[in-house]
Formats: sequence, C-alpha cells, structure tokens
Amino acid sequence: MEATLKIEELKTFFQTREGVAKAVNGVSLGIEPGMILGVVGESGCGKSVTAFSVLRLVPHPGRIVSGRVLFQGRDLLRLPEKEMRRIRGDRISMIFQEPMISLNPAFTVGDQLTEALRLHRRIGRAEARAKVIGMLRQVEIPAPEKRIDDYPHHLSGGMRQRAMIAEALLLNPDLLLADEPTTALDVTIQAQVVEIMCRLARERGTAIMFITHNLGLVAESADRVAVMYAGKIVEEGGVRDIFENARHPYTRGLMRSLPLPGRRSDGRSHKLYEMPGVVPSLFDLPPGCAFHPRCPEREAGCHRSEPPWRRIGPGHRVSCWKEGGDGTPAQG
Amino acid sequence: MIRYLLRRLGYLIPTLALVALMVFFLTHLIPGDPAVVMMGPDATQEDLDSARQTLGLDQPLWRQFGLWMGSLLQGDFGVSIHTHRPVFQSIKERFPVTITLTTLSLLLSLLFSLPAGVLAAAYHNTKKDYLFMLGTILGVSVPGFWLGLMALLVFSVHLGLIPSTGFVPLWIDFWEGLRFMILPSLTLGVYMAAVVARMTRSSMLEVLRLEYVTHARAKGLGEWKVMTKHALKNAFAPTLTTIGLQYGMLLGGAVVTETVFSLPGLGKYLVTSIYMRDYPVVQGCILFIALVYVLINMVVDLLYSYFDPRIEHA
Amino acid sequence: MVLRKLRKNRLGQIGLAVIALNVLVALLAPVIATHDPLRIDVANPAAPPSAKSFFGTDEYGRDIFSRVIYGTRISLFVSLFSVLFATAVGVVLGAVAGYYGGWVDNLIMRVMDAVMSFPAILLAIAIMAFMGARLMNVVIALGCVYVPRFARIVRGSVLSVKQKEFVEASLALGNGDATIIFRHILPNCLAPLIVQATANLAYAILAESALSFLGLGTPPPAPSWGNILSEARDFMLDNVWMTVFPGLAITLAVLGFNLFGDALRDILDPRLN
Repeated sequence: MEATLKIEELKTFFQTREGVAKAVNGVSLGIEPGMILGVVGESGCGKSVTAFSVLRLVPHPGRIVSGRVLFQGRDLLRLPEKEMRRIRGDRISMIFQEPMISLNPAFTVGDQLTEALRLHRRIGRAEARAKVIGMLRQVEIPAPEKRIDDYPHHLSGGMRQRAMIAEALLLNPDLLLADEPTTALDVTIQAQVVEIMCRLARERGTAIMFITHNLGLVAESADRVAVMYAGKIVEEGGVRDIFENARHPYTRGLMRSLPLPGRRSDGRSHKLYEMPGVVPSLFDLPPGCAFHPRCPEREAGCHRSEPPWRRIGPGHRVSCWKEGGDGTPAQG
Repeated sequence: MIRYLLRRLGYLIPTLALVALMVFFLTHLIPGDPAVVMMGPDATQEDLDSARQTLGLDQPLWRQFGLWMGSLLQGDFGVSIHTHRPVFQSIKERFPVTITLTTLSLLLSLLFSLPAGVLAAAYHNTKKDYLFMLGTILGVSVPGFWLGLMALLVFSVHLGLIPSTGFVPLWIDFWEGLRFMILPSLTLGVYMAAVVARMTRSSMLEVLRLEYVTHARAKGLGEWKVMTKHALKNAFAPTLTTIGLQYGMLLGGAVVTETVFSLPGLGKYLVTSIYMRDYPVVQGCILFIALVYVLINMVVDLLYSYFDPRIEHA
Repeated sequence: MVLRKLRKNRLGQIGLAVIALNVLVALLAPVIATHDPLRIDVANPAAPPSAKSFFGTDEYGRDIFSRVIYGTRISLFVSLFSVLFATAVGVVLGAVAGYYGGWVDNLIMRVMDAVMSFPAILLAIAIMAFMGARLMNVVIALGCVYVPRFARIVRGSVLSVKQKEFVEASLALGNGDATIIFRHILPNCLAPLIVQATANLAYAILAESALSFLGLGTPPPAPSWGNILSEARDFMLDNVWMTVFPGLAITLAVLGFNLFGDALRDILDPRLN
C-alpha cells in the first residue's frame, strides 16, 4: 500500500531583512496509513513549518524552496490551488497549538465545526449539526447539544482543543497534522486530550503527524518518532528504538532531560540534566552538522560537512558522523 | 449578553444628564447679564424682568439647572428670541435635513472605505497599498469645507450638473433629492472615509496574522471567504467604534457643510442663530446634536457585541 | 535612535520638510510677503493673479498672497498653543486622576467623558459662540476640546506604572508624589503623547480654519486662511483664485503634520505594519 505522506528533501526558507532563515532545511520523512508519527524537537527547530509546508500554508515571508511532498502519490507542491483547497480540511486536516486563538471568537462552536463539513460534503444544516453533536460527544464534551451554540470563550482550554479535534476528524481525513496540540493546555489534561485524539484517529484509520516538544506524550502514543534539530531530521525510528536505543547525541540529550521520578540507587534524587548551549539561529547555521557546537561527543570532522544517513537497524536511521551501522546510506 | 446590553443602557442616563449639565455650564460662559443677552439690547425693563423670572435668574444656580432640566424633559427647549417660536419645533423641522446629510455621508463613505481597507490589507506592501496610504493621508488633510467649495465651483458652476443650493427631501422625490444631496454628502464623507479605510486596513492586518485565519484556510476555505467571513467580522469590531466616533465628525462637519451648500438643516440654523445672538436656539441646537451623538454611540456599543462576543466578559 | 529610523521613512521626511517650510514662512512673513496683508486698495478689487500680485486680490483689493503668508502665522500659533494648553492641562488632570485614584479619578474621568461626548467641532463652536470670537478664545476653545485625549493617555500610563516596584522604592526613599510623577511615570507616556500631539496639531489647523470660515474663529480682518475663504465665497464664481490658494495652503500645512505624525507613530509605536 502506498504511503500516506512522503516528504522528500523539503526546504522552506524565510526571506527577511536580517537574512534568510532556513526553517526547514532538507527534511525527509514518511508516514504510512494509520501510523502515528511523533515529530519532536525544541522550539524553533522547524517542526511547525514542516506541517504548514505540507498544506502550503507557510506564512509570509516564508517560501517552499524545493523538495516534494507526496500525498498518496501526488506531489502537493505541484497541485493547482483549487485542488489543494479540496484536500485541505477534507483529506488532510490540521489542529493548532492555542485553541483560543485558532477558533474564531466571533462565531459559535457549531458554526465553525459545521463549516468544513458543509463545504466539502454539501449536506444540509440540520444534518451537519447532528453530525457535529455526535462528534462532540465522541471527544467527551459533556452536553454537546448545548455546547454547540456556545462561543469559544465560553469553553475551557481542554474543551476547546477537543472541539478542534472533533472538527479535524469529522470528515475522516487520511492525515491529521497536530501542531503542538497540548502545549497550551494544563499538564493534567494533556495526556487525556492526546489519548482521545489518538484513539479516535485509530478508529478512523487516520494517520497523525504529532508535533510536540513533549517526549513523554510521544512515548505513550506514537508508533514512530522523528527527531528534528535546526531544520533537519537527525534521527528517526520506531518509538522503542528511539527511547531505548537513541543513537544521535541530541536525541540522547533529550532523553536524559526527561525528569525521572523516584531516586537513584544511592538514595538521592536524579539530577535534572540540561543540554548545554542554545539552539542556533536559523539565519546563521553552524557549518557541517548543525548540532556539533553543543555536541558532547563531537569529533574533528563534524564541522566539515553534513553527516549522511546511517542505518542503525530496521526502520531506524541516524544522521551523525559517529555512526557506523552497516554503512549503507538509507533512502531519503 | 443581555446583562451587557442592560448595563450599557444604564450608562445612558447619567451620560445624557452630564451632557445637559455641560451645555448649561457653557451657556453661562456668556459675559454679561444673561437676561440682557437673552432679550437683546432693545429689551424693555418688563422684558428683562420676565426673562429673569423665566430663566430663574434669581434662584441659586443648581436650582436653575433643575428647572431647566425639568422643562427639557417635557420637550420645552425654550423659545427663539427672533421668531418667538418654540425652539423644539424649529429643531424638529430642520433635523431631517441634517440626518439625511449625515446618514447619506455615512453610507457613501462606508461604501468606499470598507472595501478599500480590506483590499489594501490584502495587497499589503504592494504599490496599491502605498497609493492607498497616500490617498488616505490626503483625505484627512484636505479641509472639508474647501473641498465643498471647489466641488461647487466645478460641478455646479462650471459644469452645471448639479444645483448649488436647495433641498428636496429624499422621501418625497428620491432622485431630485439625491441631486441636491450628492455633492454635500460626498464632501462631508471624505474625511470619515479616509479614517475608516485606514482603520479597516490596520484592523484587518492584525486579524490576518491570527491563527484562526490560518485555521480557516487549513479547512479548505477559499481566500475570499476567509477574508470576508472570518477576518472581516473580527476586524470590523474596532472599526465600528471608530465609525461611531467619526459620526461625531459628521455631525460637526454637517454644520459647516450645510453652510457651504446652504442646506436648511440644523447646522445652518445653529450658525445663523449664533450670528443673531439667538441664544435659546443656540443652546437647544447644541444640546440636541450632542444628544443624538450620545445615542449613536450607544447604538454602536450595542452593535459591538455582535462583532466581538468576548466583550461581555470585559 | 529616533532620528536614525526617521531617515528611513521618506514620507516622514517630507512631512518634516513641509512643517519646516511652514514655520519658516510664518517667521519670515514680513520678508516674504509682497504687500501689507491688511492694506485695502479700492482701485484694485478682485484682480486675477499677476506679476505684481501672485495670488490676485480679494474684494477689498488686499493682496491674497501676502494674506496667505501671514495666515501661516495664525494657523501655527493657534495649533501650537491650543495643543500646549491641552497637553499641560491634560497631563496634570490625567496624572492626578491616575495617581490618586478613588473619587478624584472618578470625578475627573466623568468630566473628561462629558467633554468627549460632544463632537469636537460642535464643542468648539459652542464655546466660541458663548465666549465671543477672539483669537485667544480660539486657542482656549480648541485646547479644552483636546484635553480629554491627553488626560486619558497620561492616566493610563500612570495606572500601569503605579503598581511597579520602583515606585514603592522611590517612595521609601522619601520622594514626594510630584517627584515620582514627573521623574518616573511621565517619561513612560512620552511617546504616545508626542504622537497624539502631532495629530492634534493637524486637527487644530483644520478646526481653526473651519471656525474662521463660519465666522466663529479668528476675527477679521486678520488673514486667517478660513477668513480668506469665507470672504471669497460671494466672489468665487468669477474669481477662482480667491479660493484655490488659501485652501491649498491649509491642505499643505495639515498634510505636513499628518505625514510627520504618521511617521512618528510608526517609529514610536511600531506594530507589524
């Protein structure tokens, strides 16, 4: 079966007065039907821009410079805008970080949720309303027949995000782009929202690109993980591979930064690990491997050129000079 | 929502009272004996005495105010020195002209400025945007009355297209009436159009950056729908406030415009009465116009909640 | 820093140049004017523009060019002083209201609201109608109309800064209220005040000319631009020049302040525009 999404060497740059910010600098990844791919990395590494690039909604002054984005075999970057609009909201949908500002405050929840439904499916108002109420119930919003006529500011953050999920899955899309869906939410409900999102998506066979900087959430829900740094993917693999056998020094650093409960064997609590250094400016990327200035394991050659892909194991690859693997450059 | 509306209406009464107080205060700025001023220099002693009684000048100031307010609430705005007719009567006759002028100006102005502002936001940072900015700056710099004069010169005198004075109510004969009103309305509306266009543009620009706009696009909505449905409704709220405030400009400007085009409205009546020192009329007109302005802004406040439902929490 | 940004803004530079031109003309009026602006010349009424009389003469034979030149003085004088008045009074009222709060704040703001519930021109007309048409009265009338805007800006600034800790620290040091207000709080609202002031300078010129046009502003025979236009009304049918030049003068002066004010606003209060 053909991959739902296949991104090949995508480059999206932002042209500003201060120079060119290479937000997405050669990203390649693939998502199979029904798969949940977690895309992790610190703020500013280009994760969101990748998602926007898929839908061709990169804000000004960004531009997709090169690459291919194959959705079920078709290159989205080559489609006419009209075709693209048919896909948006219907075959590929997106949910955003802050539900307060991604839901239009001037319209009721019902207005907004029925909008895409009526746009892509041409069904009547009453039928659309019924479907929306049903969906709101599935995302566990209590009294959905009342909530549907509320304005966004009447709902709590968690409910708003669940409404967004409802909207996104209403049309049974093939791919859901979830851009940091829980970052603006209370820690206590983050896991709950992610659980609902993933469960409903699996029921529908919807693949998810789950963008976040919260590794804990990814560990619970994703099938595969791609780690991004400074506009590039540095490691990609199954969720167990990444968490138990991380090979890229950056990934390892991220794993170590996860606060661990309990105590060490000597009775003291675990120290919080912090990666030294800061994320480089996208205007001024370091030569060679972008991570090398912060890398505790860097070697002499790391600054000379970008490391190639190395295969660690089945479905697990890394972009690092230190890795030998079996030397075969992986595809993409 | 209802609570918000009621709260807003509750503000109305004190505001109206304050406006009346201000007019009362202003009237007492007149240097000299108010009775003499009111009755004119040729008044006899009897006239002056009766004036003093009517005006209640022998009473303490606050009592005067109370009496005056009392008569106001009964619709008694005083009597014109010149014509001896009740001021309220004269206001009632002339008010429709002024309202026609300001409303027509409002409509014409919005007709041009709203689309212009939206388009300018859409074509942000292009040559069209630049022209737009130049146009609006010019629009707020040209004195309205001069524009009226020049328009009269060109269209009335030299081209003979439009009559220069006179008025026919629109509800009696729409097209004839329009012929008389089109020039004054256009010149009065220029300033407001420029301000509203600018406000619309900047409001749209702010809104277009917001996430719900991107979200709307992500749902597959066409650009036109995104702009007019999602962006504009939110962007319109601050613009609405500006429109309300600018209506005051229209009311004030109407005074001048009516003078330029000799329209028999409240504004011209006010100015003429000032020349003739017909102070009861002056007082009545100013009060009336101010009250209308307060009411308009109240309506604007009420409408605001439709465009920005978040306001009820404010 | 402001100057550097101004260099990039071409429209702002043009505005500044126009303002400078107006100031220059006002100051050098006696030198630039070709005739005495008040001198009546019965032999030469309503003459069209010529080499002798650049903008022609009015119904009384007075040279319009010279009148327009001297008119610059009146416009700039009125706008400058009315805005100064409004700023001074507004700053005091706003600072007192914001700083002391309570019933003082309430009272002051209610009065400000009452003033603002009048359309600006109307209020100016009302004040002029009741006080009589004199030059100083125009300044006062316009000043009063603009006070609330300044008061609001200052009050907002005071309210937001009042809470901050360095105010408490300053009080602890024993500084009096006035010192705190002037040294710590006011510098914060300098930027919006300046922007408001330049905008008001522009309005004031328009307002003064409108008032004079109605006969409620600067009393004739003073050559206020509004007066010149008002006098030209009865004769403008055959003598277009009487109306064109004064109007252009007004437009130009106001344009200068608007362009400069806009540029200042973009610099001092930048939003992603």
